[in-house]
Amino acid sequence: MFDAIVVGSGMSGGISAKELCERGLKVLVIERGRKLVHGESYTDNLQPWEVPNAGMVPEEDLARQYKIQGNSFITSPTQQYWVRDDENPYITPENKPFDWIRGYHLGGRSIMWGRQTYRLSAQDFEANAKDGHGSDWPIRYDDLAPWYSHIEKFIGVAGSQEGLPQLPDGDFLPAFALNDGELQFKAAIEKAFPGRKVIPGRVANLSKAQPHHEELGRMDCQARSLCDRGCTYGAYHSSLSSSLPAAERTGNLTIVTDAIVHSLIHDPKTGKITGVRTIDQNTKAGNTYEAKIVFLNASTIGTAQILLNSRSEAMPRGLANSSDMVGRHLMDHLFALSIAGLIPNGPNTFYHGRRPTGLYIPRFRNVTEPGDFLRGYGYQGGVSRMSWRSAIGQPGIGAELKARTSKLGPWFTYISGFGEMLPNPENRVTLSATKVDQWGIPLVEVNCAHGPNEQKMAKQILEDGKAMIQAAGGFVVSVADAPGTPGLGIHEMGTACMGKDPKTSVLNKYNQAHDVPNLFITDGAAMASGGCQNPSLTYMALSARAAHHATEFLKEGKL
Amino acid sequence: MSDPFNMDRRGLLQRALVLAGATAAAGFSPAALAKAAAKDKPSLDPASFALLSAIADTIIPRTESPGAVDARVPAKFDALLVNWASPERRVELTEAMNAIDRAAKEQQGELFAKLTPEKRKELLVAYDKAALKPVARKDKLAGMRAMMAGPSVADPGYAKMRELLILLYYYSEEALTTELVYEHSPGGWTPSVKVTPETRATGGLGMF
Repeated sequence: MFDAIVVGSGMSGGISAKELCERGLKVLVIERGRKLVHGESYTDNLQPWEVPNAGMVPEEDLARQYKIQGNSFITSPTQQYWVRDDENPYITPENKPFDWIRGYHLGGRSIMWGRQTYRLSAQDFEANAKDGHGSDWPIRYDDLAPWYSHIEKFIGVAGSQEGLPQLPDGDFLPAFALNDGELQFKAAIEKAFPGRKVIPGRVANLSKAQPHHEELGRMDCQARSLCDRGCTYGAYHSSLSSSLPAAERTGNLTIVTDAIVHSLIHDPKTGKITGVRTIDQNTKAGNTYEAKIVFLNASTIGTAQILLNSRSEAMPRGLANSSDMVGRHLMDHLFALSIAGLIPNGPNTFYHGRRPTGLYIPRFRNVTEPGDFLRGYGYQGGVSRMSWRSAIGQPGIGAELKARTSKLGPWFTYISGFGEMLPNPENRVTLSATKVDQWGIPLVEVNCAHGPNEQKMAKQILEDGKAMIQAAGGFVVSVADAPGTPGLGIHEMGTACMGKDPKTSVLNKYNQAHDVPNLFITDGAAMASGGCQNPSLTYMALSARAAHHATEFLKEGKL
Repeated sequence: MSDPFNMDRRGLLQRALVLAGATAAAGFSPAALAKAAAKDKPSLDPASFALLSAIADTIIPRTESPGAVDARVPAKFDALLVNWASPERRVELTEAMNAIDRAAKEQQGELFAKLTPEKRKELLVAYDKAALKPVARKDKLAGMRAMMAGPSVADPGYAKMRELLILLYYYSEEALTTELVYEHSPGGWTPSVKVTPETRATGGLGMF
């Protein structure tokens, strides 16, 4: 028997495993996908001319195998990281799509993430209580602040100290500085719109590796911007480069891959989980692993699927679901609301390197400026010199085309809003009563849509974005005028929400299931609200905090 | 931004072109195109590959730097037809090529690949301008898909073929060491660099 089982090896599972191992627990990590090896499995060393099919996934593969994943950032050198939709189906109602973007392998989506790393603020933790949507968070910012610091130090986050209450500062490495075009953009925006800020994007790449990073074999970011292929330098945080190696060096870690969790075994006599049932993804052989505590880090929808599939006589609605809140309050971020523009009077300078981040415009609606909707949004983007790619759309051939492409282009800006979705119990994950996957597990049904608040917010995101580009002396050349399908933000959250009241939430303030004392859930499922910030840092901070408390409870004989 | 490594590469390639008997800005002769086709063993039939090579050479000719044929763009395009394109796309792309041949026959009375480089360019400059003329969008793309797709143009098949030829050229080692600057591992981020007459645009697979 293990002390702890961690289901999932991605962003939160990796940190759960590390923190539990470092506290002396014997930990088993169960990963449904195949094994990947840090460095060896990556494709970051392929030169542009070595990349298959000029970076494009074959069109028939996209149509047949990656119908959903193809809506995201899949390329030929990253194709290995994306699930095949044809082999991993799920159900959505007609005309109500949800794009579930997944990576089933050791390290999960921590290999593929965008690495943008932001704290939620005091305002975010109070939002549900203030406007009545969702369950009131059982913790506040101050409860999580030290754990944010703990994670930031460990993973390495490049960022600037800004003193903004809506986007708390952290324990940062030096920021990847704004380029001259962005500094000009920043000056114009901050002059035209007092209260708005343009800051360097905060990113989990090592601008300056510290000794504790180097101990794990991690090095400074080389500014290659090949992160999506995996980084042999270990310059960005992932489970493979960072958290799992830290767990392994304790001698307390065991990893099982290719093991799909079917369900958790609940003992009605003790009220606790006794084990985890798995199915080998290749042989389909069943297995059971036992532990004193279980951390569910299977990703927001995967975690809900496991809980709902763990129904028993004692818990007929699913494990830890006396509240009927498991699967509900599914959230993503409003995504893909993008505005592009040219800035004709940019500075006559350039930059060197391909920075792994850009600029960030922290939330200002319902902070320093009013909004006719609840919550708010921030923007990610950048200002850069237009590249040779501009030749693709412009007429012109021959020597003239070559002469044009080799010259530096004008400054170009691209900003994209990330907006908060309200927690809505009708946005939910359920299990099919009739359809199962190839391993006999009921298919997930996802029923999720943007509501009136999101629609109002989307409109304002575009209007504010256009106004800012114009204020910077630019002109708008292109607008993505509709939000991406829910799910495309790849920030699924909320299917086992934290809360104060066991009747309206699944988890308590320690991320411990109200109904099952030895079950902890610290992935996106735990989120009671999503803020507008990229959420991975919060998952990791919650994981570390929960691991601390779970270990204390074990030592005290409470579990 | 000077880059001694890439400048050396550029010099080496220039010398290689001279040794190969290249004449700057002249374009490939029909005989040279046929020779290149024979070497690459393409999936396209010889006439189609010669047509493809002539189009690629006209869009991106050899100048002081290597052109599309030097960078084996026709062979790479041929490989995309086999390894990347759907059957519908293959038809669209080969039809785009054939349409240029038809235009050459109509306007010059000769297959495109048989024309002199000067005649090919004369024909394709006008053809390119007409084909890329913006038109109202007919498809139902919205949001990010519409944004990424760019403006709708008069001849989407030609536009796609041209885009692929340009992509393949600017992803090639030849282009990334002469026309553009590419460092696989820049080593770090410098946010501000002075622009000099030698500063060239940077390349790579990323969008920006």
